[in-house]
Amino acid sequence: MGDLFSNLNHGFSIALTFQNLGLAFLGCLVGTLVGVLPGVGPIATIAMLLPITFGLEPVGALIMLAGIYYGAQYGGSTTAILVNIPGEATSVVTTLDGHQMARQGRAGVALGIAAIGSFFAGTVATVVIAALGAPLTRLALIFGPAEYFSLMVMGLVFAVVLARGSILKAIAMIVLGVLLSTVGTDLETGQERLTFGLPFLSDGIDFAVLAMGIFGVAEILRNLDHTETRNVVQQAIGRLLPNREDFRQSWRPVLRGTTIGAILGILPGNGAVLGPFASYTMEKKLAKDPSRFGRGAIEGVAGPEAANNAGAQTSFIPLLTLGIPPNAVMALMVGAMTIHGIVPGPQVMTRNPDLFWGMIASMWIGNLMLLIINLPLVGVWVRLLKVPYHLMFPAILMFCCIGIYSINSLPTDVMFIGLFGIVGYILIKFGFEPAPLLLGFVLGKLLEENLRRALILSRGSLDTFIERPISAALLAVAAVLLVLALLPSIRKGRDEVFVE
Amino acid sequence: MSLSPQGVAQPPMRRGPIRSTQNFAGGLFLLALAALALYLARNLPQGSLRSMGPAMLPDWLAYGVGACGFALVVMSLLRDGEALAKSSLRGPVVVLLAILAFAMTIRPFSLGAMGLPGLGMVVAGPLAIIIGGYATPDVRLRPLLILALSLTPFCMVLFGDLLNLPIPIFPQSFANLFPASWSQKEILRATAVVMAIAALALFLTGRRRPSNRIDVVDHSGTM
Repeated sequence: MGDLFSNLNHGFSIALTFQNLGLAFLGCLVGTLVGVLPGVGPIATIAMLLPITFGLEPVGALIMLAGIYYGAQYGGSTTAILVNIPGEATSVVTTLDGHQMARQGRAGVALGIAAIGSFFAGTVATVVIAALGAPLTRLALIFGPAEYFSLMVMGLVFAVVLARGSILKAIAMIVLGVLLSTVGTDLETGQERLTFGLPFLSDGIDFAVLAMGIFGVAEILRNLDHTETRNVVQQAIGRLLPNREDFRQSWRPVLRGTTIGAILGILPGNGAVLGPFASYTMEKKLAKDPSRFGRGAIEGVAGPEAANNAGAQTSFIPLLTLGIPPNAVMALMVGAMTIHGIVPGPQVMTRNPDLFWGMIASMWIGNLMLLIINLPLVGVWVRLLKVPYHLMFPAILMFCCIGIYSINSLPTDVMFIGLFGIVGYILIKFGFEPAPLLLGFVLGKLLEENLRRALILSRGSLDTFIERPISAALLAVAAVLLVLALLPSIRKGRDEVFVE
Repeated sequence: MSLSPQGVAQPPMRRGPIRSTQNFAGGLFLLALAALALYLARNLPQGSLRSMGPAMLPDWLAYGVGACGFALVVMSLLRDGEALAKSSLRGPVVVLLAILAFAMTIRPFSLGAMGLPGLGMVVAGPLAIIIGGYATPDVRLRPLLILALSLTPFCMVLFGDLLNLPIPIFPQSFANLFPASWSQKEILRATAVVMAIAALALFLTGRRRPSNRIDVVDHSGTM
């Protein structure tokens, strides 16, 4: 326990330097901006901003990128409440009751409770990361290749179960993602695989290029089919601070939301997205009068908002302790760390304690900043929504081009975001969700490496995955989950969660 | 469930045995990708489990993708599902053109006999914005010009001046127009200022129509 405080203390001494404070603020500001604007997400933004971090110190760079991610969670709820447009996938649930509250003239209270709930969740999540960091790191050190492989398989199964829509399509996307990750030079034999003989493919497909194609360009193409005209009217926001009655109603949902979100966030396979849905369903089940939900129940804002922020932050845990990115944003963090010569994994904590604890401390500071940025500046953010999409997408397009070009100075990278954009758009048209594909791609290389290593150690026997107890347990969890998800009754329940 | 604006399970207007054109097309697409991967990996050694060759995992995965595709095709014949939503080609084609224009002008480019001098961000940026803008039917040139003339100098200063990234800003022939005593950075700044002033002038001379109706994205899946 004493360790924890001295470590956190060390972290704060790093996060509170002038430069890092400034970078955290910048990250939170950009994050809020992309959170507010529908059609721009944190993945494309972080990919665009990667080159900017080249000149920074690694700690500062990661502090800024992390700020963008959790800042977007705050920003997304602002537009969800005020104009019924979810800025991010995680704030979809907030539109249900948040916007109803706004219609009843309680927009300020909804924003206030969302921000306060998120701040509370962020604080708890910071402590959770700090407390779980050390034990999980120790656990990771006893993991061999077989365990790593099984853990990643479990993560991918989670991603299948948690994905929207058809399970078959989600599986297809994950396998396709892993297949794409095998493009390039084979690490052990040096032979080129699936490269069409093209020299720029011999290093494999660059993750930033794939991410920007699928989440930058394909998103633009998808949005072009879906734009509509809407009235964006300035509303009276009303008082911002919730009163005692509001707090009485919402402190329990915030606590529950934080717990659910934090647990789901740790799961590899992008559990953070599910947090708000799970929290909303739970509050509705627990409520004395469920019919209030959908008509401006404050619990329906407080719980999910706490859950999404807690999940966004605890999703750093697998990355920092095990070196496994649980979602696409964390995969970009891997990219940012590799650029600065840091290998993500259990050794980060011992070899780069400044980075590990500085980043954790900065998250709490960032949450405090977001509370301040968001509430008084609500009017400014809402005005941003008046930027019409037909002007926004050309700007996004140019930023994507410049961003991807400046990573490697290769015009072919720019062309490839176009190609992947088209492929992503086709996949979306065919009803596939691109998020699992990206996760499969991210884990693919690690997956193959560990599979081969484990098989070499076991002299080609697949039994090794079942004989080693931890590995067997992880695979069992994965198998049970997959079976459960395929059972008709549970499948129905899963669909309902997403439909709501 | 899906984000498709057409809604789930349209009234049956099908001809033939396919009950979900979306799943059918998706399945075929996966089968094609799997076939492509198997074709590309055909000459690589498989190896054994004890020491896996380069082709083993890609082959397994390709079979996996193919199996999913096959299952989708079968499902599309057995179960009702969504139809393929109609979409115009305008968006994808124009956006692709804009990206190609950027890639081909940012630095010297040659394809066979055809060659383009490197024009740098000062040309590539506005090209991407203005061509890209035509991806939507409600395009108006003037706002696009203003956008191009204001964002490009912003990016030039941010990436070229403040961050010192090695991205070409303008062609050398353009730099030769300036007095020899000017440094690259000074030329960059002067150009940025001129572009920003042009944007401002365009903005001020344009008529402004106050309106609360704007187009926004209607979806909930931004990641």
